[in-house]
Amino acid sequence: MLPPKQSQSSSSVSSLELAEGYRAITGTYDEALGQTGQIKEHWAYLLNSLSSLGTENLTQRQVKTQRILRDDGATYKPYTDQERTWELDPVPLLLDSHTWQGIEAGLVQRTTLFDKLLKDIYGKQDLVLQGVIPPEAIFANPGFLRPCFGIEPPSEQALILHAVDMVRTPDNQVCIIGDRTQSPSGAGYALENRTVMTRVFPNLFRDSQVRRLAVFFQSLRYKLNSLATNGEPPNIVVLTPGSRSESYFEHAYLANYLGYSLVQGRDLVVRNGYVWTKSLNGLSRVDVILRRVDDYFCDPAELKSDSYLGVPGLLESVRAGKVVVTNPLGSGVLESPVFLKYLPAISQALTGEDLSLRSAKTYWAYDPLDCEYMLDNIGKLIIKPVFKKQHQNSVLGYECSEEQLNNLRHKIKQNPLKFVGQEYVRPSYAPSWKDKKFISRPTVLRSFVVAKEGAATEKISSQSQSAQYSVMPGGLTRMGRSPEDKIITNKLSALSKDTWILSPEPQRYASLWSHNTDHVSISSEEQNNLPSRVVENMFWFGRYAVRAEFALRLLRTVFVQLNNTQHLSKHSYRIILLAVTQVTETFPGFNAEGSVLFENPEAELISIIIDANRPGSIVSRLNVMLNCAEEVKVLLSADTQRVINDIRDNVGTLESVIRTDFVSAPEEALDPLVTSLLALSGLIHESMIRGYAWRFIEIGRHLERSFQSMSLIGALLSPVLSEYDEDSTLETVLLTMEALVTYRRRYRARTDVINGLELTLLDDTNPRSLNSLLHHLHDHVDALPGREQKSFLTQERRITLELLNHIQLAQPEHLCVYNKGDKVREGLAELMDSGKTKLNDLATVLSDVYFDHTEVYHQVSETSWEDEL
Amino acid sequence: MKYRVRHITHYRYEHKVISCHNRAHLLPRETSFQFAATPRVVIHPTPITGSRRIDYFGNRVYHFAIQEPHQSLSIQVTTDIHLKPQRMELSETLSYGNTCAQVKEKLNGCYGGNIDIETCSAREFLLDSPMIKLSDRLRQYGDVCFSPYKPFLTAVMEFTHKIFTEFDFDSGVTDVATPLEEVLKHKHGVCQDFAHLAIGCLRSMGYAARYISGYLETIPPLGQKKMMGSDASHAWFSVYSPGEGWFEFDPTNDTIPSHQHLVTAWGRDYSDVSPLRGVIIGGGASQKLTVSVDVQRIEEL
Repeated sequence: MLPPKQSQSSSSVSSLELAEGYRAITGTYDEALGQTGQIKEHWAYLLNSLSSLGTENLTQRQVKTQRILRDDGATYKPYTDQERTWELDPVPLLLDSHTWQGIEAGLVQRTTLFDKLLKDIYGKQDLVLQGVIPPEAIFANPGFLRPCFGIEPPSEQALILHAVDMVRTPDNQVCIIGDRTQSPSGAGYALENRTVMTRVFPNLFRDSQVRRLAVFFQSLRYKLNSLATNGEPPNIVVLTPGSRSESYFEHAYLANYLGYSLVQGRDLVVRNGYVWTKSLNGLSRVDVILRRVDDYFCDPAELKSDSYLGVPGLLESVRAGKVVVTNPLGSGVLESPVFLKYLPAISQALTGEDLSLRSAKTYWAYDPLDCEYMLDNIGKLIIKPVFKKQHQNSVLGYECSEEQLNNLRHKIKQNPLKFVGQEYVRPSYAPSWKDKKFISRPTVLRSFVVAKEGAATEKISSQSQSAQYSVMPGGLTRMGRSPEDKIITNKLSALSKDTWILSPEPQRYASLWSHNTDHVSISSEEQNNLPSRVVENMFWFGRYAVRAEFALRLLRTVFVQLNNTQHLSKHSYRIILLAVTQVTETFPGFNAEGSVLFENPEAELISIIIDANRPGSIVSRLNVMLNCAEEVKVLLSADTQRVINDIRDNVGTLESVIRTDFVSAPEEALDPLVTSLLALSGLIHESMIRGYAWRFIEIGRHLERSFQSMSLIGALLSPVLSEYDEDSTLETVLLTMEALVTYRRRYRARTDVINGLELTLLDDTNPRSLNSLLHHLHDHVDALPGREQKSFLTQERRITLELLNHIQLAQPEHLCVYNKGDKVREGLAELMDSGKTKLNDLATVLSDVYFDHTEVYHQVSETSWEDEL
Repeated sequence: MKYRVRHITHYRYEHKVISCHNRAHLLPRETSFQFAATPRVVIHPTPITGSRRIDYFGNRVYHFAIQEPHQSLSIQVTTDIHLKPQRMELSETLSYGNTCAQVKEKLNGCYGGNIDIETCSAREFLLDSPMIKLSDRLRQYGDVCFSPYKPFLTAVMEFTHKIFTEFDFDSGVTDVATPLEEVLKHKHGVCQDFAHLAIGCLRSMGYAARYISGYLETIPPLGQKKMMGSDASHAWFSVYSPGEGWFEFDPTNDTIPSHQHLVTAWGRDYSDVSPLRGVIIGGGASQKLTVSVDVQRIEEL
């Protein structure tokens, strides 16, 4: 009799082969394998568990991982014009607790040193005066911002966040290859990676005793709270350069996770020396700014004068201690690799300690000996600019041709101050899942260090009691796509991995919000305290969603009508196509004098759908909507984000779908988009908090739908046609406005413009009648802030009331009156035109009253040399 | 020698300015030769915030913000300045002191062994700065005046004289943004350009030099010749000789600044000490700037 164990084994043995088939690449240090090629103890559970899932299952989980990331809107934009979904390898990087303790202690030591270095650079400059570093290490560093000199640190520590890139060398040493001190990015991506991993591999994660990340973000929150000197609760904001910045996803994600508002420079203003957010309810004071804008861009009054990403007067407000910006302005100076050359000496001078973690050996061409070494060994080095600027990458010596090397040598000799050389440290390799097997790839770990709040020190284990910093137990691992990748950065399309620090004990669930003193309740007032920019984007988001939807419906209807069994008369055919041009405002189109487009309208209709560069086209309308959505990302739910992703995908494929499908039932190709847009409006209706953000979407939607309907009715029903032709035009209106079924049921087959107007203009049981739309519009506008102060009607309320009254008082019979020989129902045309004018007026007034109109700012005097810095 | 300096800056804007944030380098600093009493600052319209501080280079800075809408802005700064007599004796010591070679040697050897703090700090003024880039052409232009065994200050005086004789003073052809190469090519400009040019040449040769903004007493006492220079304000440069200190030279007037040059601020170049910089919100595209300066001798102490 076979033991039961063996009967199962056929499948598990074959799947364990996956793990056993994993091989190291010769000459590398492999994280998962020992010297003889056996799987290391702390990796065994993970690799065996993943193996036992089997190839199919594991591949499916990988697909699921990517799907969740996409649904979460997790993206990275290496350059402004492209966007990539964040990619996560299903195999995490594992570090055992012993290794981690060493790294952790080394990082705390390093950050403590960097903090002292920062204070020295902007304070006494003892390092220069004592000859520890040459004066040029600071003076020639463009990251050294002289206006920031002498500013008092807001707390014991000046440096609040520090990110450190490290690798494990072939001889099993941790080696640091770079530091981020400007506005370190990646912590949010690490958190997103963790969130996705725990969803996709819940059991594996639970059983692996992985240290939790939440403690890190808790520390960050405590620290930021403690930096605020003014109010309770402190107002903390995340300052982002905007939706075009490379890690915008993370800015929005972190702001949401930490419960802070996400703002851009133009949402902030300095008044009375303090910094304020401009919101719908007026100004609200800001205590702490967690910045993701580079320091040099933060204040056009004193730093980069043509920057629009900052706030004029910010630096002076910081100097006066009226707001705290973190990391402090000027902290970018520490990112220069020059300091790595002197770090051991700096450490001795400032702390009397030796660093426990070494940095990559760094040479500075400014030092004659180093320069000689660099020129002789250029093929072995990574040549880096002394101070990193945008789009300036490091150059790998041994990937260069002899000619390129000579060029580089020449540049170095010309300007030795500006170049450093760094030894290339071969990173360790770790398993990754690709093409149905485990493969070995180079990895770089970015870890994150945060300043601790004074009071929090008591709870920390005795060993690091005096430490001023704590380290995220985990991090962001980047992995090369090919075994040869030498420089592994997100910009160069690296993949990411979750980083699991294994603990000997089971881990308890930790939440950012668990601490009982950390009481955060968002009052309804705060909910409404949105930056005006956000509100404005909401408004346009609503408008463009409807603009797109309405055009889609109209085009769909037109396709149906054109291919109808009942032949359209030439007259109604022209009227309908003309209406397309008018409603979508894609002039001249069919409206052009003697247009030949009528003979063969397909090309024009396709262009109205897919031509992204044509204002008014469906794709251009959808693109504007998507851009608005990106700006207000933080306020959209996960479900909404998913629908938005679908729409983006549909837009991407629309052209090919339309072109292949055009011969038969072209309207079908538009259906998925209509459905997605309906899902969107459903979500807004069903699940959005009824704050001002929601109101402005609804105002945008109702205003736009009213406008589009008036355009359509004006274009199709005001011309006087034969009864037969009016059948077609009325049907087009009713189909587009989704009222045909009701119409038929109510009025049987009789077609009559008067009945049509009753249903589309007046009927308050029809949610798409102008009466209903304007009623809602009126109620929303009435609920906007500002009403309580005035006894008379504000202008925006007056306009909506007027609009509503005009429609309600209209009488279809009168609107349809025309004199014999007239070709137009003047009354109807008049009503629709004046309605549209009033809607435009309303939009202008709303914009004046509620949206932000940051005036362009100018320099007091001409300054054009600063770009040279 | 005692002076009262009154400097009035007036801006007129095309449209109303809603608010502004400014940093002014209009308050004369103290130097080893110059005692400057606390300047009186009157700004109209009244700023909502205003504060004084000492900047990175030791200059007096005044920060202010205005929140009320305004179409004109005036800033009046009045300062009593007392020049100490030692400053006038410098011209006699030009041929003593460091040779050119010694200056370079000491500048380069200031760290590593015995550290000379002042020289270490002066090395900041050897480097490129926002408006002054080192170049071979600048080095070549200055080279003829310098040789290893010549006393350094004698060489600098000759170099100052060279600029004075070879360049035309010509206001209106250059502005603050005119590149140095162009000034060198066309051989004309104003005091700022000459100061920048001299600094650029000196640094390209390996000497530390800094930019000085200030005032020139333009109405001379009877019997002395009238000095050229901007009526509003003036600019010149100073060089560093290790162990001996900083020495000022004025290439616009071919002189060593003494009793008629009053220092406001110094830095690496104009951009560090521009009289007023900042941001105005609103105001339209054009602004009209008028500046008037009064340098008035008051009775000797």
